[in-house]
Amino acid sequence: MSDVLLQAENVGIRFGGLQALEALNLTVRDKELCCIIGPNGAGKSTFLNLLTGTLRPTSGSVRFLGHDIAGLPLHRIARLGIARKFQIPSVFPSLSVEDNLKVARWGASSPVRPVGELLDLVALGNRAATLAGELAHGQKQWLEIGMALAIEPRLLLLDEPTAGMTPQETLATAEMLLRLKGEFSIVAVEHDIRFVRALNCETLVLHQGRRLRSGPFHDIETDEMVRDVYLGRR
Amino acid sequence: MRPKACSPACANASQVLPDTMDFVVTTLLNALTLISILMLVGLGLAISFGLMNVTNLAHGEFVTVGAFAVYFVQSVGGSFWLGLLAAPIAGAVVGCILEFAIIRHLYSRPVSTVLATWGVSLILQQGLELTFGLGAKPVTPPIEGTLDLFFTVYPAYRLILIAIAMLTLLGVVLLISRTSFGLDIRTVIQNREMAEGVGINTRRTYAIAFTFGAAIAGLAGGLVAPLAIVLPQMGVNYLANAFFVVIVGGVGSIGGLVAGSVFVGGLTSVLNYQISPSLAQAIVLLAAIVAVRLRPNGLFNGASR
Amino acid sequence: MIARDRNWLVIFAVCVTLAIVYPFFADGYQLTVIRDALIFGLFAASLDFFWGRTGILCFGHAAFFGIGGYIMALTTLNDAIPLGSVLGILGAIAGAAFVAAIIGYFLFFGGIRGSYFTIVTLAMGVICQQAAVSWSSVTGGDSGLIGIPPIAFDLGGLHVDLSQDLPSYIFVAAIVAVVVLALWSISRGRWGMVLTAIQDNEVRVAALGHNAPLRLLATFVLSAAIAGLAGALYVCMAGLVAPDLSGLLLSTEVIVWVAVGGRGTLLGPVLGAIAIQRAQQTISSFNPSLWPLLLGCVFVIIVFVLPDGILSIYARLKSLFNGRRPAQ
Repeated sequence: MSDVLLQAENVGIRFGGLQALEALNLTVRDKELCCIIGPNGAGKSTFLNLLTGTLRPTSGSVRFLGHDIAGLPLHRIARLGIARKFQIPSVFPSLSVEDNLKVARWGASSPVRPVGELLDLVALGNRAATLAGELAHGQKQWLEIGMALAIEPRLLLLDEPTAGMTPQETLATAEMLLRLKGEFSIVAVEHDIRFVRALNCETLVLHQGRRLRSGPFHDIETDEMVRDVYLGRR
Repeated sequence: MRPKACSPACANASQVLPDTMDFVVTTLLNALTLISILMLVGLGLAISFGLMNVTNLAHGEFVTVGAFAVYFVQSVGGSFWLGLLAAPIAGAVVGCILEFAIIRHLYSRPVSTVLATWGVSLILQQGLELTFGLGAKPVTPPIEGTLDLFFTVYPAYRLILIAIAMLTLLGVVLLISRTSFGLDIRTVIQNREMAEGVGINTRRTYAIAFTFGAAIAGLAGGLVAPLAIVLPQMGVNYLANAFFVVIVGGVGSIGGLVAGSVFVGGLTSVLNYQISPSLAQAIVLLAAIVAVRLRPNGLFNGASR
Repeated sequence: MIARDRNWLVIFAVCVTLAIVYPFFADGYQLTVIRDALIFGLFAASLDFFWGRTGILCFGHAAFFGIGGYIMALTTLNDAIPLGSVLGILGAIAGAAFVAAIIGYFLFFGGIRGSYFTIVTLAMGVICQQAAVSWSSVTGGDSGLIGIPPIAFDLGGLHVDLSQDLPSYIFVAAIVAVVVLALWSISRGRWGMVLTAIQDNEVRVAALGHNAPLRLLATFVLSAAIAGLAGALYVCMAGLVAPDLSGLLLSTEVIVWVAVGGRGTLLGPVLGAIAIQRAQQTISSFNPSLWPLLLGCVFVIIVFVLPDGILSIYARLKSLFNGRRPAQ
């Protein structure tokens, strides 16, 4: 169990009278890739906020490398090795692509990859001098992944990395992540099934704040109940 | 026993050398006077700053205009009460013009709003000075004399001031919670797009709410005029204190407004007995900053971040 | 970006050249006028470094100017303190920085930004002025302190005496040039880039491992320290210190200098300060109370007509000639 990076045990959270999440478990081992899927409103983003310490669970515990990180300032969490890509692409529009990556690298405790390598990794090598605000939507998403990589994370959390992307961009993003697989752990929250299929990894399905199923993606995909939920039959 | 001269920021001229019980009651009443004024001035600010996200640095001038309205009415032979009626009207007129000419064009530009309203504030101050001349303006209270309250004797006018302020606040609470206009305001504040979607004229609602806040601040100016030094520059102290009220109390509820006013007004009144008014102000500022650090969402909001 | 840097350096070089040749054409009085205006220019640059780089408006910056001024005055007026001029300047810088650090700590780490910050700093300015008036045993009250000697010291063989017009002009001009250049290089490097990123999206910056509040605090403290330096220089040149120096009117004037000169350009505010003070002296000679009235109008005009400052007229004309609509 020494290679466990992130462990969520029996986690739940209430907002006032609403039990938003209940009894969730997730173990992410070092260099592991996993996905959290579910229909809109299933609690995916809330769960991610719990995993990154932005929210504190009202029951259960979340531990990163054995530490309780809930409520720590954001920059401390980042320095522990957790990088996060937000759902709404949040790059720095008034800085160039290259400067975006520079700012990200300066935040790292020990940056490794040079900016040039980061640019190539996220397929923005020819846009280095462009203002990030002028990038196409998909490219912004990639730049943000590049910024997350720049801080050399142990764990990369991606909140709907392909939201608003074309099918081609979605596949390119999946390939990008598969290339990075094995360097650090990745947890991706998605509702685009094509993307998760392309990643083909351990998957947790949420529905109405609870675990519906978990296991390898091909098992999930053929599961009758998961299909029902996605088709709105449940 | 002559009332001590007071700074315009703290309309609580104190009685000198009290006995213990006398002291306690007098301090409480002084605090209550200041708290009443702060609540009225802060109300408009809670609407514009707290709920509409408009930083109106000319808010203090509504108070000034209200005080000058009373002065003007008295100087042409009118009674104080007539002046007190004119005060909120004067505040409302200035507020309405300000909203119409400046603020509504700048809803999406917060820093520009700060600069433009500050400019308006300077223009109003100098305009008043050019119109009415230099120097403090005398305003006489409607009732001289004191009332014997068993523990202490207290200026009768101040008791009237407290009563009018409380009644006004009660009226506002009823207006917002019981009328359809109040419902409109609450809807617009909670979700502007949604309110537009259900057919509320949000522009008009904002304008009316802003004007309303200005009127209440004008009333506060009228009420405080007999106690304060009526000067074109008197507004800035009320501005700073009212902002503290809103910042400390948090926005969005009458409870926050009351809590903030009690905090700022109470602290100022108590400190004013011990130390010089400007040192008291400095301490209130620091206390407000510390309070905000500890409870960023305001004293009244349960959850601290 | 590179072209913009080059343009800035060219304009800077032109300004420095003008400052060098000016003494050959000006008499003693004109020199002192420009010297004092330059000190206010330094003050404007200090505000611009904070406001321009963070987008957060400090509405009580004169508080730091005044704190610096009073510390300088009290130090040099006390005969018991050796090297009064040097220690006074250092004390002024440290004092202003200290106050900014205290207030800034609570505000930035308390999550106070934007308008809230503006309001609290406004109150800070009001209180500083009141304190200067009422703490009369130390500050001299309403009338302030007079008879502050010019800067003069002997330090390690270096003999400085600024009682004459020309040396004091050179001293001030050199300090302004060095500080503005230093602020400019800071703001285009790593520090400035992170500040720009914070302006764009502070949460994102923090999520990348930067301590954003600390960055903002450091910027605020540096800005206040330079304002304190400007205040110290001013009182030595003027020979007196008064509560007005920490007052709200000066706080708002410096905002106008920055806004007219062009926020974020550092040089623009210096030029804005010089130009507007010329205008102020002319107008005030007709009627002193006319100036605040005009100042108020300038605020409104800036907001509606020239949101990017005087220098933006040039950019607008340029884009007009290029047949394009000016960028909003």
